[in-house]
Amino acid sequence: MRILVVEDERKVAQALREGLEGESYSVCVAHSGEDGFFLANSENFDLVVLDLMLPGRGGMEVLSAMRKRGLRVPVLVLTAKDAVEDRVLGLDSGADDYLVKPFVFAELSARVRALLRRGKAESPVALGIEDLHMDLLTRRVRRGPRQLQLTSKEYEVLEYLLRHQGNVVSRDMLGRDVWNETARHATLDNVIDVHMVRIRRKVDEGFATKLVHTVRGVGFVITAEKS
Amino acid sequence: MRRFRPHNVRARLTLWYVAILAAVLVIYAGSASAVLFFELRSQLDHRAVEDLETVEGFLSFGVDGNVLLRNDYHDHPYPATMQERLMEVWTPDGNLLYRNEVLGNRALDGPPKPREGADSYSNRAVRLADGTPVRLVSKRHLLDGRPVVIRVGFSEQPLWERFWQVAIGLILGLPLALGLAGMGGYVLAKHALGPVERMARRAREINADRLNARLDVENPNDELGHLASAFNDTLARLERSFEQLRRFTSDASHELRTPLTAIHSVGEVGLRGESSARHYREVIESMLEETARLTRLVESLLTISRADSGQIRLARTRIAVVPFVREVCSFVEVLADEKSQRLTIGGDSEIEFEADRAILRQVMINLLDNAIKYSPAGGAIFVRVSTVEQEVAIEVEDHGPGIGPAHRDRVFDRFYRVDEGRSREAGGAGLGLAIARWGAEAHRGRLELACPPVRGCIFRLVLPMVSADATMQNGANGQVHLSERAEAG
Repeated sequence: MRILVVEDERKVAQALREGLEGESYSVCVAHSGEDGFFLANSENFDLVVLDLMLPGRGGMEVLSAMRKRGLRVPVLVLTAKDAVEDRVLGLDSGADDYLVKPFVFAELSARVRALLRRGKAESPVALGIEDLHMDLLTRRVRRGPRQLQLTSKEYEVLEYLLRHQGNVVSRDMLGRDVWNETARHATLDNVIDVHMVRIRRKVDEGFATKLVHTVRGVGFVITAEKS
Repeated sequence: MRRFRPHNVRARLTLWYVAILAAVLVIYAGSASAVLFFELRSQLDHRAVEDLETVEGFLSFGVDGNVLLRNDYHDHPYPATMQERLMEVWTPDGNLLYRNEVLGNRALDGPPKPREGADSYSNRAVRLADGTPVRLVSKRHLLDGRPVVIRVGFSEQPLWERFWQVAIGLILGLPLALGLAGMGGYVLAKHALGPVERMARRAREINADRLNARLDVENPNDELGHLASAFNDTLARLERSFEQLRRFTSDASHELRTPLTAIHSVGEVGLRGESSARHYREVIESMLEETARLTRLVESLLTISRADSGQIRLARTRIAVVPFVREVCSFVEVLADEKSQRLTIGGDSEIEFEADRAILRQVMINLLDNAIKYSPAGGAIFVRVSTVEQEVAIEVEDHGPGIGPAHRDRVFDRFYRVDEGRSREAGGAGLGLAIARWGAEAHRGRLELACPPVRGCIFRLVLPMVSADATMQNGANGQVHLSERAEAG
């Protein structure tokens, strides 16, 4: 899987390269709109991560030029502007998804996975990790022999974690995708934290292998590996 | 051609004044002259008629068939009337019977006209051969049984002389009067506008550094007083918003500096000397936590600045109040649950109103979060919905320590915390209530704080039930300015 990152801020570009390479993607970085457009045209990529605030040729311009050329490659737009108009503008001009800066890398990684997976239908009937089993049809969750009593919110959070298992899930992602909150705020973070504490208690209490982990400052992950 | 237009008000006022005065004076002079002229002429007519009546009796036919005038009715030989009188006697068919000496050989308007003087005295203006203007009165008369036409005339010369005397006096006096009036008007206008000039000078001296200065109000009840008061009010508002902005900037930078300092010092200390990977990990985690806090803070600031600049538009929908409150409560319930607090909802379940759901939700979340944060473990929190006239009130009552009188006015201020240290640890930046109040005011409602005598406090969110302003708001882009609302409140 080849990913083109068009980002002029070198530190961010470097972090993205390292992060994505760490997830076994092959990454190519362009530091300007011109370079990005040239690379996207001349080479084959599975995904483009495009910053909108670029010197010279802006990201918007690059994107529409790419679409005019008939390049169908999925594009994930990064923008520092938090205005709804910009978002709509981004999606109208052919972006497949957007992410508002500052973002957590875990979220970018999740978006990248989702975009690359797009089109490949997968609707599992059950999710699980180690001895934790979630039946999506009956909405029953069990760990080993023990049946877990989860509230519906806890169930949704756990399902979300399981769908992203092995990858960190940020509070932003939970807030938006599980709680459907439009804006992030301190109360939401507290609510999420309380739910995580409860889920952890129900899932991990009494088991030697801990599955739910907190990644301080980033979010949560469900994994069998010890952090 | 460009119209002449003086630049200052003083000159314009004077010019108008003079122009109007000139028009008035011209009309006055014209009518006064006309009145004078007609008055003098009717005097002349009157005199001619009287004279004609007198003279009638002294006429008689001479032997030669000519008419004679006896002069012996006068006391002295050559009275003024006789010297000035112009007189002719004609037969109706046009034979001249008599012409007096004053006329000499100058004709007094030729033979009589067909019915001249037949019915009554007929008078007209004529000119003699030498150009003398004459006022003429004719009368038919039976003289010794024969009809004759008697004409008596007087020169209009003295009349015209008198008329021109007065008219020239008036015409000459006009510019003089206008000049004087203009000067007077200019001085008066200057005097009247003097305070304006002074105000302008003073206003120019007031700049961003000296916003506390005010204009002097000499008389608050006159027009200039109103102007000065209005200007002072504007200045006061300006000063308040400047002060607000200044405080906001300084508070915001302070709030931003705190996590930045933490990130920097944690990183700096972490780099000192060699350490274990585990330790480095902790350092990085700690830095990330601070970054997350910073991000959240920046987002709150962004919300506030967008509200300030009026970029937030209300998306009003119909909301059933109690289900809405229930929904918000269920969102935060888990937090209350953690502290074993009871969250009780009460009130009328039928009420509906129009509001922006997302904004109102944020308001309620902030209020509830506050109540949960400051209530002791095991305490009770009440949420009550009620209607008073056309308003919906949502009360959030907690049984925490309450808010001291010193803080009550300021709890809604941005970045204001009742208990500095504790609140920051609890995760607040002191923006929650400021945002909540803005949200209430954006809906033309208000957020009040009531403190029961015992303990705890009640935040009362009051919103108009029928949003009569909804259409108006949407008409004006539905934009809401935080600062203006804050001013209004």
